Amino acid sequence: MRWSRVTAVRVLAVLASLVLAAAVVPPSPAPGAAPRSFAGVTVNIVTFTGPQIAEPLQRHGPEFQKMTGARINVITVPFSDLYQKILTDFATRTNSYDAIVFDPQWMGDYVSAGYLEDLTGRVRADPTLQWDDILPYFRNFSATYNGRVYTIPLDGDVQMVYYRSDLLARDGLKPPATWADYLAIAQRYNGRDLNGDGKPDYGSCVAMKRSAQSYWMFLSVVAPYLQSKGTSQGAFFDPRTMRPLMDNQAVAAALDVYHAMLKDGPPEQLNMDVGDTRGLFTSGRCALSVDWGDIGTLATDPKTSKVNGKVGSVITPGSRMVLDRDTGKLVPCTTQTCPYAIGGVNHAPFAAFGGWSCAINKAARPQVKDAAFAFCAYVSAPPRSRVDVTLGITGFNPYRRSHFGLDLWVKSGMTRPMAESYIGAIRQSLQSPNMVLDLRIPQNAYYEGVVLDTALAEFLAGQLTAAQTMKQIEDGWNKKTDELGRAKMLGAYRASLSITR
Amino acid sequence: MLGAGRVRVRDAAPGWLGAWLERASPWIFLAPGAAIVLLFSLFPLVLSLYFSLVRLEFAPGGFRLAFVGLDNYAKLIVGVDREEFVGVLAGPSPAGWAAWGLAAAGLGWWLARSARTVSGRGLLARAALAAVSAAGVWLAVRTLAPHGRPGSLVVTLIYVAVGVGAEYVLGLGLALLCAQRIPGRRFFRVVFLLPMMITPVGVAYLFRMLTDTSKGPFYPLWKALGLVNFSWVNDPWGARAAVLVGDIWQWTPFMFIVLLAALESQSTEPVEAAVADGASAWQVFRHITFPAILPVSSTLVLIRMIEAFKIVDLPNVLTSGGPGTATESLTLHAYVIWRALDIGGSAAIAYLLLLIVTVAAVSYVHLVHRRAVGAA
Amino acid sequence: MTRRHARPRPIPAAARVATYLALGTWTFVVLFPLYWLAVTSLKNPIDVFSGPLYVPFVDFRPTLSAWRYIFVDLRNDTLRPYANTVIVATVSSVIALVAGSAAAYGLARFPYRPRVGAILLFAGSLAVAVVALSLNVPWPAAALGAAALGAGAWRAARARFRRAASNEDIAFWMISQRILPPVAVVIPVYVLFQRLHLLDTRTALVITYVASNLPIVVWLMRDYFRSLPVELEECAAVDGASRYRIFWSIVLPPSAPGLVATFLFVLVFAWNEYLFALFLTSARAQTLPLTIAAQNATRGPQWWYMSVLILIMIVPVIAMAVALERYMARGLLVGAVKG
Repeated sequence: MRWSRVTAVRVLAVLASLVLAAAVVPPSPAPGAAPRSFAGVTVNIVTFTGPQIAEPLQRHGPEFQKMTGARINVITVPFSDLYQKILTDFATRTNSYDAIVFDPQWMGDYVSAGYLEDLTGRVRADPTLQWDDILPYFRNFSATYNGRVYTIPLDGDVQMVYYRSDLLARDGLKPPATWADYLAIAQRYNGRDLNGDGKPDYGSCVAMKRSAQSYWMFLSVVAPYLQSKGTSQGAFFDPRTMRPLMDNQAVAAALDVYHAMLKDGPPEQLNMDVGDTRGLFTSGRCALSVDWGDIGTLATDPKTSKVNGKVGSVITPGSRMVLDRDTGKLVPCTTQTCPYAIGGVNHAPFAAFGGWSCAINKAARPQVKDAAFAFCAYVSAPPRSRVDVTLGITGFNPYRRSHFGLDLWVKSGMTRPMAESYIGAIRQSLQSPNMVLDLRIPQNAYYEGVVLDTALAEFLAGQLTAAQTMKQIEDGWNKKTDELGRAKMLGAYRASLSITR
Repeated sequence: MLGAGRVRVRDAAPGWLGAWLERASPWIFLAPGAAIVLLFSLFPLVLSLYFSLVRLEFAPGGFRLAFVGLDNYAKLIVGVDREEFVGVLAGPSPAGWAAWGLAAAGLGWWLARSARTVSGRGLLARAALAAVSAAGVWLAVRTLAPHGRPGSLVVTLIYVAVGVGAEYVLGLGLALLCAQRIPGRRFFRVVFLLPMMITPVGVAYLFRMLTDTSKGPFYPLWKALGLVNFSWVNDPWGARAAVLVGDIWQWTPFMFIVLLAALESQSTEPVEAAVADGASAWQVFRHITFPAILPVSSTLVLIRMIEAFKIVDLPNVLTSGGPGTATESLTLHAYVIWRALDIGGSAAIAYLLLLIVTVAAVSYVHLVHRRAVGAA
Repeated sequence: MTRRHARPRPIPAAARVATYLALGTWTFVVLFPLYWLAVTSLKNPIDVFSGPLYVPFVDFRPTLSAWRYIFVDLRNDTLRPYANTVIVATVSSVIALVAGSAAAYGLARFPYRPRVGAILLFAGSLAVAVVALSLNVPWPAAALGAAALGAGAWRAARARFRRAASNEDIAFWMISQRILPPVAVVIPVYVLFQRLHLLDTRTALVITYVASNLPIVVWLMRDYFRSLPVELEECAAVDGASRYRIFWSIVLPPSAPGLVATFLFVLVFAWNEYLFALFLTSARAQTLPLTIAAQNATRGPQWWYMSVLILIMIVPVIAMAVALERYMARGLLVGAVKG
């Protein structure tokens, strides 16, 4: 898949268009313009075995070496074990990695343990990085912990809803604005043939496999019920008391929606991860799906898609009712309760996972740190990233203002209406002041990946009722918080939301 | 003693060195192997026991291990993880009562019988084993009852019992067939080994492809049976069956290859004599072949049992332990929380597993294996 | 002395048909999944997701793009792990087989009566040495200190230790090393090799696999050796042969089937091991199971790449099995005692 001729031609086309664009747009100073010499320096960067994420690093490495002399050595580890592997390496002070390209959600563990280099000064000092071009959410929340910058974003993750624009247009339907709309559309198309092969297809395909991505999907559903007053309100705990927000009417409503999704989907939905749902959606077998930005680029590739030009994207549906945190009850949206509502609907796009970002090991040698920073800045800088985000192979999704130029996307093979819808949905989500930050406290892998994930799996399998599910999540979270120290965890939660008061 | 004259041997090395080497030879045979195992196993064993008593916390620059006593164990047996580990208990069904009664009666009879032959510590050990087994059956009966739900403990026991049993029977059957002088047997032998050679993670992914009822190869079959809207992954027993099928597919070859080797190194004369006396094939098998391969069989079952208790890749890849926690094995349970940095909790599960398997293996060795070996 | 075969009676036609039917069924059970792998490796993603397609050229247009990706695009990222896998698995299996069958022979033929106290003392001094090492005491000092401590304690207390372990106890202790699931010991083992500065080396993997596979060799070979008649060995001993020579020329040859079966088994174990390989390596020493597991990433399992990798991974083991198969055959058995 990686360097097939089609892709190569496409890359060439994009590069050519860049050259043309460069003639019009005043060129940004290339990092190579004033090269610091890193001759003889080797930077070991670890990420997961791609091709996504690793491919652009491996591709830009030799370019960077030619400019600065620093050798970039990309080490890859299977995705499922990356978190443990990096942590073991750092905690035992083996320090075989100088830089990591990782999920900023893990910052809670890495930063509080002091493994990562504070990059605040460096990002300000490096003009080539064009820090202010990065969208505010990523600068101020995703890359930041307790007011300090620790990562350089290389990827923007936000969940959206994808729909079959051809079907909805044919039947005169509007894309879903609330989860109720979503379910109505799913129900309408479930069991009908959606791709012309004579076999019945599915209304909604959502990853619900345990120990995969299911809890992020659920959090996308619950987010608009839980958070309405902006990112720093947080959607997991009460930021004053560290009381979990998981046993109330909002979560009950979301569990209802989540359970209904199960009904209008493929029979094996319980065992599907995003690989399966993406495959089904791009082969035309689903009317709706919830996913990150990947479906957009996958739907454009003829090797993976039968639905090019038939895909629309929209910000994740919202809710007309939101949680009153004092009573645990749902209250209607008003200008007070939902200051950011659009047409009376509170949207809370969920930055699940957070987007792959580059961080530097505090224990690395100074010169290696400099080289590692320069390399990550080089990859993130618009001349590279603007192209990379349009290539499916990179796995990079938009995270800068300069990524929203439609022409690049059309050149990459997307039809113009689809590109408009795709970029429109991403832009609307990422610029929302009510974006939901993923949980980033220490041991969040336990809170989400074990407690929440297990409870949801048991709920879907019918082992638990909604009430039992909510109680199990609250109990599990409270138990862990008490183990780790409530005051400490509250501090970490507030730090992750960058609440400084 | 026909063969003896054919063996040509050199004299042992002369001198004190030779004499010492000869005298010390038992230890020289054993020492390298024992030393490797000892050196390598001791440290991890002790350290992971320690891990099971602590909680990992990250501290600036490194990590800290906070001592929590038996908290990690308590969480599993009486605390928040109880339903996942032990299961949900319910009142036994009539069939459950019957099974429990049968098992209790059987254990009682066995204990009464052994009281006549063994005494003292041996009897005490047997009584303890009977009590543990009775408790195990009771747990199984209550969690498998209509409103109960088996935890990872009982699910693992099911995997071990059904998987190892089926693998042995299939492996033995195939080995017997392949030990015959029939054309093409060399082909079969190599082919039958194939599943074992695939890495367990690979087998797990392979079975995830095969068991997919909407795009997997058995879709037409599924459709013909009218099961298009049914998926085994939504049914606890269906999912467990899928895990078992994968396990049996992969590990039958292990039984097969060793049993075949055992059958082939068996001396042929008794069989010939019996056949000459007009014994039937079944009689030959029952009275000659089977006793001859019994020691190897017994070893095989023991090794496979120990390995089967550690089943993790298949349920992990196939269903991630789902639906809910229906297919979660003990090792998968340990792995899931280990991935989330609960090193202490996962070490506690591992040590409970160690305890269970040690009890099972010690009993097996004392009650079955030694007798099997002695019988040969 | 001529050897006749176990079942000289001609097999009846009905039994023959039944035999082939059974063998044929199982052959299908074994081969169909592998066929599915082969077919999947020739598919584009879209062909995998649109429903079951069985026959290339008929149902779908095959493509070599997955193969090209693995061999051309990844090239060294496939070949390096491949070489590592071959080296680590072969070396560790040979060592495990040699050390393991020697120990198995010992356990099958000689009575050992190690005092329990001595073992505990030895283990204790070892633990002291390890603790000392982890406190950054230089290793010669740690070794000497622990040895002195152990010897001193032994002299002081040897009269008190009466309980002795038997061969069965030793064998059981060995196999019990396999009970703990890898996930419980992987961190300690990681720390161990980190101290020894062996992380990301093939040596670390070889040591790990030898230690974890040795018990299996001991158990399987012990049964084989025990099933051999001792008369031959006794005769040779009377003739003045050394124990080592007896082992080498009299015991090992007739054990060939067992040795081959055991070797194949531990080879496969080492060949396919995942969790230790994941933690003990990071770049240079990675093995193929990691590459396979890595094909399930943020975009879900890449079935087509996975299929290629699984197929190329079993080829060498199949070749090995084919090459060794004839040693499992009964015709090569020598040294029968009772004629």
